[in-house]
Amino acid sequence: MEDAFDPDLIDAIFKLVWKRKKKGPPSAAFVGSEIGGTDVVDAEDEVGTSKKNRPTTVKVEALKLSCELIRIFVIEAVQRAAIIAEAEGISKIEATHLERILPQLLLDF
Amino acid sequence: MERGESDTEREDDIEKAELLKDRFRLSAISIIQNEAKKHDMEASEAVVSCIADLAFKFSEQLAKDLELFARHANRKPVNMEDVILSAHRNEDLAASLRSFSEEMKAKAPQIGKKRKKSKADDIGIPE
Repeated sequence: MEDAFDPDLIDAIFKLVWKRKKKGPPSAAFVGSEIGGTDVVDAEDEVGTSKKNRPTTVKVEALKLSCELIRIFVIEAVQRAAIIAEAEGISKIEATHLERILPQLLLDF
Repeated sequence: MERGESDTEREDDIEKAELLKDRFRLSAISIIQNEAKKHDMEASEAVVSCIADLAFKFSEQLAKDLELFARHANRKPVNMEDVILSAHRNEDLAASLRSFSEEMKAKAPQIGKKRKKSKADDIGIPE
């Protein structure tokens, strides 16, 4: 494990997601990156957050484990695409290789 | 209402989100390229940025899952169990996360014991 994600970075991302979820209907905030699916999330929110206002926190070990999970996701994506590229006898991973493995990858995570 | 305030706050959030996303991308890219190198492969630019974006989406989704799991267990802090639960569809992945968590658990109490021991020694010496 030479390089992994910085737990502080993941912590900050988690906190931002949780904060964003709390602020009622903030779909406008992420127009750029979120195309679909925001409506569902917003609907879920209103049920739970009205009573409990304390922010969610993460334990340090849980954060490290999350970093590991995200790292496995990235590595798995590269490895699977590399296998396809290798089978085709090409030494460069192209978008088509990623396309081939993407459905199963997303089902597996 | 407090429109103005919430708007500026929102703008700050967007800015912060972009910054975090860029930092996340950087570390993801280095992981991707190292992994590709291990397989004597080169990853095209499109693939690298696509995987980095996927990983970011994945971590956003993970954050939502973890919050819901912790809330469902009537807890505030997110546990290691919640993270393992988030991978429950994939038994191999869950198993590997579990062993990783046990590894961490095994390391953690040792540090605690050592600290306690050294404290006890400190107390013992002056007498």
